[in-house]
Amino acid sequence: MDVIFTVATLTAGLRLAIPVAVAALGALISERSGVLNLGLEGMMLAGAFGGYSAADATGSPWIGLLAGIVVGFLFGLLLALFVVAGRSNQIVTGISFTLLAGFATTLLFQQQYSVGQIPPRINRIGLPALIIVTVVVFVVVAFVLFRTVAGLSLSAIGETPEAADALGYHVGRTRTLATGASGALAGLGGAMLVCGPLGLFIENVTAGRGWVALALVVFAGWRPGPTLVGALLFGLSDAVQLRLQGTDTAIPYEFFVALPYIVTLAALVIRARASHTPAALGVPFVRGAT
Amino acid sequence: MSLGVGAVEAPTGPIGRVLGRSVSSGAVAAVLVPVVAAVAALAVGAVLIGLTTGDPIGVYADVIDGIFFAPRGLSDTATTATPILLIALGYAFAYRARVFTIGAEGHYLVGMVASVGLITSGLLRDLPGPLLIVVGLLAGAAAGAAWSALSGVLFVRFGASVVISSLMLVYIAEAVLQWANRVGIRDPESFVPASRSVGAATLPIVPGLDVHLGFLIAVAIVPVMAWVFARHRLGYRVRALGDNPEALDANDVPAGRIVIAVLLVSGALAGLAGFIEIAGVNGRINDSASLGYGFTAIVVALVGRLNPVGVLVAALALGALDIGFEVAARSSDLPTSMAGLIQVLVVVFVVGGDALVERFHGTGAR
Repeated sequence: MDVIFTVATLTAGLRLAIPVAVAALGALISERSGVLNLGLEGMMLAGAFGGYSAADATGSPWIGLLAGIVVGFLFGLLLALFVVAGRSNQIVTGISFTLLAGFATTLLFQQQYSVGQIPPRINRIGLPALIIVTVVVFVVVAFVLFRTVAGLSLSAIGETPEAADALGYHVGRTRTLATGASGALAGLGGAMLVCGPLGLFIENVTAGRGWVALALVVFAGWRPGPTLVGALLFGLSDAVQLRLQGTDTAIPYEFFVALPYIVTLAALVIRARASHTPAALGVPFVRGAT
Repeated sequence: MSLGVGAVEAPTGPIGRVLGRSVSSGAVAAVLVPVVAAVAALAVGAVLIGLTTGDPIGVYADVIDGIFFAPRGLSDTATTATPILLIALGYAFAYRARVFTIGAEGHYLVGMVASVGLITSGLLRDLPGPLLIVVGLLAGAAAGAAWSALSGVLFVRFGASVVISSLMLVYIAEAVLQWANRVGIRDPESFVPASRSVGAATLPIVPGLDVHLGFLIAVAIVPVMAWVFARHRLGYRVRALGDNPEALDANDVPAGRIVIAVLLVSGALAGLAGFIEIAGVNGRINDSASLGYGFTAIVVALVGRLNPVGVLVAALALGALDIGFEVAARSSDLPTSMAGLIQVLVVVFVVGGDALVERFHGTGAR
């Protein structure tokens, strides 16, 4: 089994962990404000497609990352329009948004790059630069959440929106921006997936990573540090999976295909009870409702 | 017991009240919103077709032609609608209880693999066809129910979110399917990974209808589910769980047990759909068995207002849209994902429309 833990596997693990980590940090922001963003997978996919198209058009993968952020942010604001302003059910709305993004990106992709023709490879961003971006995102998210008034009031809104409202904080505005921010980071995560070492968009390229990110937030107890650890765990099991698919083992390789999801499930189970859920998570705020 | 513990399901408080609300906010809005949403989605679809392939009126004429006037239009619609209808009935039941599973694709695949594996095994394959069909139906339902109940157990015992665990189990089920086709229940004669053929368990075509028996089974389950919703003790408890979980606890009915019961029912229906699809249409499982019906059915359940009859109407409409667009795509370069996009737009508009209706015509129930 020593071949598994080579430097190459570790590097691959890091590479696979990064998009999930960034998207999970996004989910963390909206969930701490009380909005469950189940559109995360869709926003990641939309960001991946937006990032790929922009990088393909301009030749710069960095513009791709920016495009991913913008697409994700707009998608996040649209979700906020439904679940914050419209107070629609967050679970149902989020799932619909993810389905919508799946079909919309497939349609656009089919339109832009016709079937049979190999979609162009784009210029790629190297792993070190992606790591720096991830660290910057992590530091900014952690700093804003725990060291600024905006971040602390955001968490207060996720715990007791009534009290925060009574103190004069804008519940709706904060939640809208937090949902937009979660979309922006999910979009960035998606763009980092395609503008990174992959350099390619394929239909449904995110393959459930947005859902994994949501599970990791639970595993991490809504804290940024453990979120990174969880993402690394997922990335490593994904890398081991890719590694073992080529080798001849007694265990069927399909087990390794399922491994990252089994690990995520295990992480969800181990930590679900212990973690501290924001008290108002998923609950629309109506002034004077309680 | 609070269902919100460490999980994203938080049925207490106003979450999901939209669901309960949309049902109770008047029958007019309940029917009108999906109809308006469907018209709006088709209008957006027309604009998109205009932007991509050019002629929306021609395409929609082809769609209508394909559904109502093509030789197999209506029977293909019924065939396509069958698995979606069964899965959506299960979702409707679960969502009524605010148990938000999204993993039916996994239950469907596991039901498929288990039932085909069992009836094509050396032990059973020489039994007469009708008996094999009954065994296949039961095995599919049992396997789907078991896979679904896993999410329930993880939730009740560990507080793990059903939304996320059920989806993780879809990916695991897809791996199981690939393994089954490659090794587990592979047809040794086949060059590509594919399961053994169901043989004598092939569902018969209903005389005069040109549709396999599975469609009738699915339609027959509609009134059964309507009865369970309205009259059966479990249906009552599901509604109680959806409305007020504390009341159940106060009456010594453990909410966790009902969550598992609900997941068993919805998983069984999806597993049943898995067997029916293979025995009715393909005859064997291949690697493209996962077509996303488990996700399309979420749309159907929501557009059908979590009501069995509504789900039937929505499933037929969606099946028709699929078939119509498939036919239309033959005579133009219409993107294959257009039908799916329009279907999802319907549900997005339904969700948005409900929020608007609520805004401007508050039910005053609060």
